Amino acid sequence: MSWQRYQNELIVLGAFLIMLAGYMYKHSHVNAQAQQANQVQQSINEVKEVIALKKIWADKKIAKKVDALQQMAPGSKIRWSKQKQKLEATYTGLNAQELNKLTTKILNLPVVIEQLDVKKNGLLYNVEFKCKW
Amino acid sequence: MGKSKKLLLVHRAMEKISIDESVNIMLSPQFYTLKRESLPVKYAYQAKKIAPSLFEGLLDEQDTHEYAVFKEEEDWIFVAYDIENITAFLSTKGIPLEKIAKIYFAQESAKHFKTPVLLTEKEALVTLDNTVVVMPRAALGEEATFVKFDESFMPNKGGVTIKGGGSSSLLTQQQAYALATIFLLFGAMFIVEGARYGQAKADTAKLQSLYEEYPALESGYTRQGIIDKYRKIDIKERKKRDAIKHISKMIFKGSTLTNLTVNDKTFKARFLCANTTAKKQVKQLAKKSQFNTTTDKAKNSLVVEGAL
Repeated sequence: MSWQRYQNELIVLGAFLIMLAGYMYKHSHVNAQAQQANQVQQSINEVKEVIALKKIWADKKIAKKVDALQQMAPGSKIRWSKQKQKLEATYTGLNAQELNKLTTKILNLPVVIEQLDVKKNGLLYNVEFKCKW
Repeated sequence: MGKSKKLLLVHRAMEKISIDESVNIMLSPQFYTLKRESLPVKYAYQAKKIAPSLFEGLLDEQDTHEYAVFKEEEDWIFVAYDIENITAFLSTKGIPLEKIAKIYFAQESAKHFKTPVLLTEKEALVTLDNTVVVMPRAALGEEATFVKFDESFMPNKGGVTIKGGGSSSLLTQQQAYALATIFLLFGAMFIVEGARYGQAKADTAKLQSLYEEYPALESGYTRQGIIDKYRKIDIKERKKRDAIKHISKMIFKGSTLTNLTVNDKTFKARFLCANTTAKKQVKQLAKKSQFNTTTDKAKNSLVVEGAL
């Protein structure tokens, strides 16, 4: 069988193979680019998440914000111990309003609550609070 | 394939023609040398083997000859032809090699030439003594009748194919070029499209600016380490705060919180309910928040607890 006999078909076949190669090239190139775009997007999301998490949980002003808990009740009702990045505070004889204010403040502070004990004593409340940041 | 194509009678005095599609050719005796032999062989391939020896001394040795053999009644017909000369001649008459599907010899259709076929004003093709020959028209007499050469002269079998001819081609050259052009255009389009498919430049620029602002976060390991550390804290602390918020909703007229303990793993709240209705309501709220409830020893006292 001579190839010359089928030269028309061979021309078409050759062109078809070139087209196929072009398609494969495009397909692989598009896939590679899409993969790269995904990686870039994932990196952006990670960086954003790190920034957001650090903004909340590694805020350098937390220590100052925690000090606000000292203003939640008269000084006579508070026993305050703040060392490095830890706080131990005891509140005694808080009325319901003071308790509400205190718990709302605690919930809004970006600290790790290690212990929160609230005990009712008659009409008043005693609170023991331990946290770190 | 070959039989559906046009059949052209080729002779030395033919006019130049123009063809678009491949054609079958019937050669007049001017293009071949014929010998009739009665040989004790059964198959054509066996007869073909001895063909060169039969033509020894008869053919010009400078030419390269090929041989065709076919059977006619009891005899074997041997045909010697010079394909190079034939194709060269055909080419000068506007029949290129690639347009030649199959070549037949006039002898293969001897019975059709019993009534002469006029080649030119002076010559005709006719079968004499079972052999197709070119004769002067004058030799046939004034009253001779002629038939027109057409596709009915096509033999049922036989013929030879030539290398480079269009016999087996499914496509004409024009069709092939048209298809090839379309395919190549598509191929080029795909390549250009692929090369132009750019990456998301806006996202890359955004990422670069983030890296410039936070160079420490360029490493994926660093990012993942920080995320793992703070995400754990974030999830746990949100759980604690959610639990406290849900518990605070259980405080209403008739339900008093007497004790609340929250640590790193669990929370526990004790409620003193004024009546069974209040107790039921606290239970429902706890259930809604998917907390566990247990009734305390003290009457109307309810403990709500859960894990963090």
